[in-house]
Formats: sequence, structure tokens, C-alpha cells
Amino acid sequence: MTSIPMPASAGSKTARADMPLIVEAAPRSVSVQAKDLALGFGSATILSDLNLDVRKGEITALIGPTGSGKTTFLRSLNRMNDKVAKHWHQGDVLLEGASIYAPGVQLMALRRRVGMVFQRPNPFPMSIAGNILAGVKAHRIASKDHYRDIVEARLREVGLWDAVSNRLNSSPFSLSGGQQQLLCLARALAIGPEVLLLDEPTSSLDPVTTENIEAMVRTLVPALTIVIVTHNLGQARRISDRTVFFYQGKMVESGETSQVFEDPKEPETARYVTGRMG
Amino acid sequence: MSLGGGSAGGTEAALDLYGRPSLSRRVGSLLGWGACLLAVCLIGAPLVWVIYGVVARAAPHWHWSVITETTSSTGGGGLANEIVGTLLLMAGVIVVAGTIGILSGVYLAEYAKGHVGSLLRAGSEVLAGIPSIVLGYVGYIALVIGLRWQFSLAAALIALSLLTVPYIAKSTEAALRQVPTAYREGADALGMSELLTLRRITLKTALPGVTTGLLVAIAISLGETAPLLYTAGFTDNMPSLSLTHSPVGYLTYAVWTFYNQPSTSFQNLSYDAALILVVLVFVLIVASRLIVALTQKHTEKN
Repeated sequence: MTSIPMPASAGSKTARADMPLIVEAAPRSVSVQAKDLALGFGSATILSDLNLDVRKGEITALIGPTGSGKTTFLRSLNRMNDKVAKHWHQGDVLLEGASIYAPGVQLMALRRRVGMVFQRPNPFPMSIAGNILAGVKAHRIASKDHYRDIVEARLREVGLWDAVSNRLNSSPFSLSGGQQQLLCLARALAIGPEVLLLDEPTSSLDPVTTENIEAMVRTLVPALTIVIVTHNLGQARRISDRTVFFYQGKMVESGETSQVFEDPKEPETARYVTGRMG
Repeated sequence: MSLGGGSAGGTEAALDLYGRPSLSRRVGSLLGWGACLLAVCLIGAPLVWVIYGVVARAAPHWHWSVITETTSSTGGGGLANEIVGTLLLMAGVIVVAGTIGILSGVYLAEYAKGHVGSLLRAGSEVLAGIPSIVLGYVGYIALVIGLRWQFSLAAALIALSLLTVPYIAKSTEAALRQVPTAYREGADALGMSELLTLRRITLKTALPGVTTGLLVAIAISLGETAPLLYTAGFTDNMPSLSLTHSPVGYLTYAVWTFYNQPSTSFQNLSYDAALILVVLVFVLIVASRLIVALTQKHTEKN
């Protein structure tokens, strides 16, 4: 994979705007790396020969038809497949150069660094504030005195504060689907992950809410690295820096989003992004 | 109308949104409602009858001394020792059987896979199927005689716990299995430990089911007589707090034995004991509903 000159100031939110102005030789570093990854369940192989670099501070979209393995791949990045019956894997996934499948890796620690938001909003059956604090308490990130501030900061970050500030102790199930999903996003952000995995986060939401969430997600880079699975090609185009096309358990193509959509190198990619294959 | 004969007529009537349903439908509907009403009466009538029977017989001679005085062997007195004994047994069952039963349920739901799981489940069902008097007799042979505990609280508690653990385990397991996978995945993805997930999310969600199991267990511990005859013995005295070598009085014994005594005061006490048991069960049900309502404020159903 060729590297494109990128600014070193990947941690700052202004980096994106500065990008064309600064030219540096240092390549933007890789956050997550899949090396010869193959995995499956029992006798079924879901993914094979997968080599992919997910760049730090960017949004990477995983697209492909149903059953192409993109969600399974996403779930292998925080080892959510481990619990599935008869799960097996070969190859490796590296986070900042270190294997996440190495013996002795603590799943709790891994998942604190790699957060996840699911397809359907899944708030916990506890208060709205309790949801934000669930991970904070689990990892003992802050003391009790800071709980209120954390709740407010995280809800503001996802744009939910004004809607829920007067009912922090209410049930999250009184919120709309979109608000619930934003709450789940805030819950994932509250433990300060480096990488955020989004598994079709807007597929159960209406277009307006989807737009809000997309705009919100955009503000998270380059502070975070984001990998998003989506069936919505428009969404991949709108929000991602790079796009990876999966087909039948293999990574067919990966590249800058504009290139994958406008000038795909592989015929399958072309057929999929132009809507000739669903 | 006449296209397909009788059956077409029926279909047409069913599709008519504005006319009256056909006669056969109305008769069928009436019969269905009648059957439901009958079923409600079959369940409700005995309940009302039992409550009326107990209250009507206990109320006329009710004295609050029944609750404060212990039983006198010469007749009369109260039921204080039986009430305390029953409450002690109940509390013991909540602690002993509750702990073991809930932990077993958690194990069965979360960890017991394959052969081990089905073996344990089968074992639990066999245990649940053993007649209570047999468990009482086993307790008598093994504990009262074998370990020389004599009639005692500990022997009674173990017999009652053996009887109730399968119910608690089963209802806990069933309730945990109904907790949505999305909760567990969400907790996993946040890096919550298994223990924390269990405490804060899954067990809390499963609480109504767990409480139901506990309630059944408590109702059994309140209502059982057979296993206690062999293990608790009986005494007119207040139960001592020693676990062994000290028999315990309990309400069901009073219901069963005092009724056959040739003395009105004992027979009255027998009805009083029945009334207290009914009230205790009622209080328990209300309390458990309250606990469930208070802890389920944030569930999806609300």
C-alpha cells in the first residue's frame, strides 16, 4: 500500500482543513492492521486472505453485499466473535502494532481501546445517565464527583444534551430510536476509545436522524479512528476517507473513497458501487 | 352468494365488515367467552372460598395475644413461637436456597453447555420431582439421626432448601435466557467484566423471573408440613437460635395438629394459624411485586 503524505498533527481537529497546505514526508500511521486474517465458524469460512491497514484518524467504510463478511470482519477487530460457537481464526489483527489475539490479551482492556456501536440501538435497562456511566464505572475511569460532568460532556458531544438534560434519570427507552443510538454512541465514547467500530449504526433510523449522526461522526475524526460498516453507499461516500469493498468473504478493493466510487479498479467493485449488484 | 355453496357463504360473512357476523360465529364467540368465564370462576371461586372459610372461622375469636403469646400445652395461649419459627425457616430458605438456587441458575444459563448442562438440568428436575416427605425422611435419617443433630432448625432448613433449590434455579435460568442478547453484546463491547454485566444488567433484567422463583420457594417453605415433621420437630417454646439440638415450632404444624385436639382453644388456634399463613403469603406477593416495580423503572416495556 502506498503512503500519501499526511500532516503529523493527526490529533488536532483542525488537521483536516490544513491538509492540502502541509506537506510532510511522514506517512499517516496505521491504527489497526489485519494480517492474512481468515476466520469462520465450525466448517464455514467467512473471511480469508484478508490484509488491510486502517489508518489512524480516518473514517474507513466497509461496504459489500449481505454475507460478504464485512460485519464479521468488524467484529473481529474487538474480538466480539470470540463468544460465537465454534469460532476460529488464522492470521492476526494488530492494534498499534500489537496483536489483539496474542495470549494474555485482556478483552476488557482491548474493548476499552476499541469501542463499538451496534446496528440496533441497545441502551442498557438503566437510566440515561447510568448508560453513559456504565463503561466509566466498569473501568473506574473517574471518581463519583466527576460523574455529572462526564454525563453532560458526553451528551453534549453527541448533541443529545438539550433533549435529555431534564430527564437524566428517566428510562432510555422513552427516547426515539435515533436518540437511543446517539446515547449508545455517547456511552461508547465515554470510556475514551482510540478506535470506534460502527456496525450499520443508522440502518434502523430515518434519513434526518441519519444525517445528524453522520455529521456527529465526522466531528470525531481525526481524534478517533473510525471503521464503519454500511449498506448505504451514499453514506460511505459522504463520510468516509477510505472505502473497502468486501465480496464473498474477501477484500476485493480498498482505496480512497472517491477512487473506489468513481474509478474502481476491480469489476466487482464497479458493479456494486453502480448498483448493478446488490 | 351461491357460488361455492355453504362454505363460500361462511367466507363471505367473515369478510363483511359492516354486517353482523353469522349466527354460528356469534354462538362460537359466546361459547368461547363462556368457557373463559367458567375457567376464571374455577380458579377464583376456591380462592374466595378458602379465604372466606379461614377468615370467617378465625375472625370471631381473634385476639392479638395470638401473635404475642407462645402456645400453652394446657390449651390456649398464642402462636408467637410458631410465627417466629415459620419466619425463621422462611428467612433461612431465602438465604440458603436463594443463594444456591440463584447461583445454580446463573451457572446453568451462562456457563453450563453441552452434556454437563443437560446432566445438571436433568438432576435438578429429578430433585424437584421427589415427594417432599421423602426429602424429609432423608433429612431425618441423614441429619437428625445420622449426624445426631436431633430435631433442629439446620435439619429443617436443609430439607426445605433441597426442596426449593430446583424451582429457584429453573426460574432464574429461564429468566436469564430471556435477557436480550443486545444487552450482553453492549456490555461486552464496553469491556465490562462478566460479573459486572451480571450484576448491573442481566440479573437486574431477569429480576422479575428470579423473584417469581423465590416466591414459589418461600411459599413452599411457608406451606410445607411433611418434610418439617421429620426434621424440625415441634415445640411450644420460642425457637432458640441454635442450629441443632433444638426443635422448632411452625404454623402448618399448628394448622394440622391443633385442629384434631379435643379443645376449642386449640381448634381456634388452628384457624388463627391458617389465617396468619394466608396473610403472610399475601404480604409476600405484594412485597415482591413492589420490589420488581421499583427495580424495573428503566425496562424496555415502560
